[in-house]
Amino acid sequence: MDSQVIQKGLADISAEQDPTLKSIKLASLCGALWRERGVELVVVGGSAIEFLTDGAYASGDLDLCHLTAATLAIRDRQELMGQLGAKGGPRNWQVAGMFLDLLGPAESFARTPYRKLDAPYGPVVVMKAEDLLVERVLVSVYPQPDQTARDCARVLIAVALRNQIAMNWSEVKRVALLPEYRNLVECEALVQQVADELKIGNPMHPAG
Amino acid sequence: MNSKSEIPCIPLDKPISWEDWLRGRRARRETSKLVAPGILRRDSSSKDRKLRKLFNRERGLPFTPTEKL
Repeated sequence: MDSQVIQKGLADISAEQDPTLKSIKLASLCGALWRERGVELVVVGGSAIEFLTDGAYASGDLDLCHLTAATLAIRDRQELMGQLGAKGGPRNWQVAGMFLDLLGPAESFARTPYRKLDAPYGPVVVMKAEDLLVERVLVSVYPQPDQTARDCARVLIAVALRNQIAMNWSEVKRVALLPEYRNLVECEALVQQVADELKIGNPMHPAG
Repeated sequence: MNSKSEIPCIPLDKPISWEDWLRGRRARRETSKLVAPGILRRDSSSKDRKLRKLFNRERGLPFTPTEKL
């Protein structure tokens, strides 16, 4: 990527005052630069849920994982992030007025595709909604009940029930049954609750 | 999209365009607020110190109000 394009992008991201747009644009620019070096990044956690729901959930940090088996060597990471004027590292940087965390390899169990958003500086790859949902329901229950995580899961369910994001509900069931989660009962109960509130059929229920 | 009034869905198997993602923001926020009103951002986390330092004692920039999305 041309350095003028990078500088123009950085100026745009630094000036952006909408936290969700700022985060997506940073993921877009950063993802494009890493992609040039052969590493595909994916947005995970609260940032990913924010991109899919606009639920007013995420904080001022962007969590990324790498999809490719290998990531960049520490030296390469620091050089690359240096092009973005980043401070810190080698796994957490302050860049363009927010924080960016690189958490390691992506953990995904769903067989659905990663969601993709064509953002201004290149595609943003977002964690699969099915993984996000099952994980967030788990976090809402274990290790302690967590109302914020529960609200976040409810938001994701609501947006999916209204077909504003595509969700493969069979895959949600399958992932929730995996030994890694074992939380199908909690997932079904929460989907039923939100479906009842929205007066929409429950797609996880045989009659849904 | 067949109609400008339709709310774009973030699809499973193909990228959503920037324009469609932007166009769906308000509807997604409105749906979110039906089941979880208010700001959901956590009150604290292990990253609290650095976030509050950067964002003037907050944990991030303020969210754009729904009516401005």
